[in-house]
Amino acid sequence: MAERAGHVEILVDGVPISARPGMSLAAAMIAAGRWHFRRHPVTGAARGPLCGMGVCFECEVRVDGRDARRACMVAVTGPVIVETGTGPRREPDGAGTGGSAGSGVEPAG
Amino acid sequence: MTGPAGGTAVLRADVAVVGGGPAGMEAALWCARAGLAVVVLDEHEDLGGQYFRRRHPAIRAVHGDHRPEGTALAEAVRASGARVLTRHVVWGVDGRALLAHDEEGDRALRVEAGHVVVATGAYERVLPFPGWELPGVVTPGLAMHLATMDRVAVGSRVLLAGSGPFLLPVACALLEVGARVVAVVEAGRPYRPGGPGVRGGVEALRHPARLAELGGYLARLARHRVPVLQDRVVAEAVGGARVARVRTVRTCGGGDREFEVDALAVGYGFRPATELVRLLGARTVVDPRTGDVVIAAGDDGATSVPGLYAVGELAGVAGVHAARLRGRLAAMSITAAAAGETRADGRERERLRRRLRRLVAFASLTGRLYPPPVEMVDTLPDEVHVCRCEAVPAGRVRAIARTGLNDVHAVKGGSRAGMGLCQARECGTALWRLAGASGSTAPLPARMPVRPVPTGVVADMDRSGPADPAGPEQV
Repeated sequence: MAERAGHVEILVDGVPISARPGMSLAAAMIAAGRWHFRRHPVTGAARGPLCGMGVCFECEVRVDGRDARRACMVAVTGPVIVETGTGPRREPDGAGTGGSAGSGVEPAG
Repeated sequence: MTGPAGGTAVLRADVAVVGGGPAGMEAALWCARAGLAVVVLDEHEDLGGQYFRRRHPAIRAVHGDHRPEGTALAEAVRASGARVLTRHVVWGVDGRALLAHDEEGDRALRVEAGHVVVATGAYERVLPFPGWELPGVVTPGLAMHLATMDRVAVGSRVLLAGSGPFLLPVACALLEVGARVVAVVEAGRPYRPGGPGVRGGVEALRHPARLAELGGYLARLARHRVPVLQDRVVAEAVGGARVARVRTVRTCGGGDREFEVDALAVGYGFRPATELVRLLGARTVVDPRTGDVVIAAGDDGATSVPGLYAVGELAGVAGVHAARLRGRLAAMSITAAAAGETRADGRERERLRRRLRRLVAFASLTGRLYPPPVEMVDTLPDEVHVCRCEAVPAGRVRAIARTGLNDVHAVKGGSRAGMGLCQARECGTALWRLAGASGSTAPLPARMPVRPVPTGVVADMDRSGPADPAGPEQV
């Protein structure tokens, strides 16, 4: 499933970024300068990853339609659709439901 | 979220190990080799924990293995016959039983074992400051994982700050992935001038390898002209969409110095992750300086609860070698209890105990060289959020503490501080301090679930037991 070399493409709020296979989703987004992972439910401020070990829950994003995935614990192995809730809204067009079969992510080691 | 459809599976074993890091793996390995039925539960995809966290195979194929000893240990565990259940989050307990969520299968699992070894590790200590919620402000651990696991620099101009020897290898790892480290800002004063030595306070101890390692990092930072500034802490981070500037001050105040950055990695050492072992009833004491909960455990990790062991950084932050020894010693006690011990085993056990004690003595000296500057919480401006999950400002916590309800329970209940997703793992030290810190102030309570878990999984637990159609499953 993983592409052996080169890169995989991730759509973050509709904008494509490129990642090397095996990177954590958090690493791929940070490498692309995408630091806004979620909107704080109380303040509305954009937030990014803090701890990198699954403790702080600041890096939670929607991945292929599954809510609340910790991006630091998800490895990118194929194309995925990420929604942060911080960017311009995109209409849900069916691409984001279900999501397990053929999804391009697996849990990071 | 939908819960699992069926009832709860029950798993029985001689030994259940929670946490597949260095200590948990050692405990599992030696128990399994002695013929005991062992199950290891870990929330990550792979064994390793944080120190031995493993690169994804696709990254390893390009960049190699950065922790081969960890790989060897993980392979030995898998070959030992221990049953390894990764992506299993232990979120609670029921008496002695462990309640887990199998994330992959989205189902509940109940684990019953004669011996429980808890090896849940430690968290980085984060202390709040104005701007700490800005994107681009991270822990040194995140910067380290990005650099070593993913080969990604957290920023192009990074300030590394906090306290503890861990800042040095992180700074070096950042240089290796091409980041510019604008400075290392250390709250204490552990390093002497005039060279890459940590000669000062630690020369009396016989740990040449550890000292050489620290000296090596300092020499590398000097070669890259990275200033190592001591007696200095982060006072404020400023930015818009992302951190852009960091103001630092002397640890006791004054002497402003600013840095232009695009990332700030800041952390003040580590604190043990004690929630689970506390839920299981282990006796604890509170560190009067930091509010950290410390498990009262023997060299072998034996707690006040028979059959319950606390090993690794959970039992005291002392590094990977001590963590492995603690896991091994716990296994020795468990196997001795199950099958007896030969005289040679006993001699080996005493030898390992002596090694552990030397490492712990070194760690406690290191700890004294790098005291976390928890006093900085006292001058935190009222409007700064101390609890970042629930956005609770320091002033609100102080107001509740002033009413006389100055215990942590009242502060939590009155302000919602510490009640968000991270369950006070990030704000715990600061909250305890603001709630009226003293040796008699109770720490934040350990509550279930210790990790967020789908409600369906919790509901499912009620249907478990003898009626479970699948019946208990043996390891």
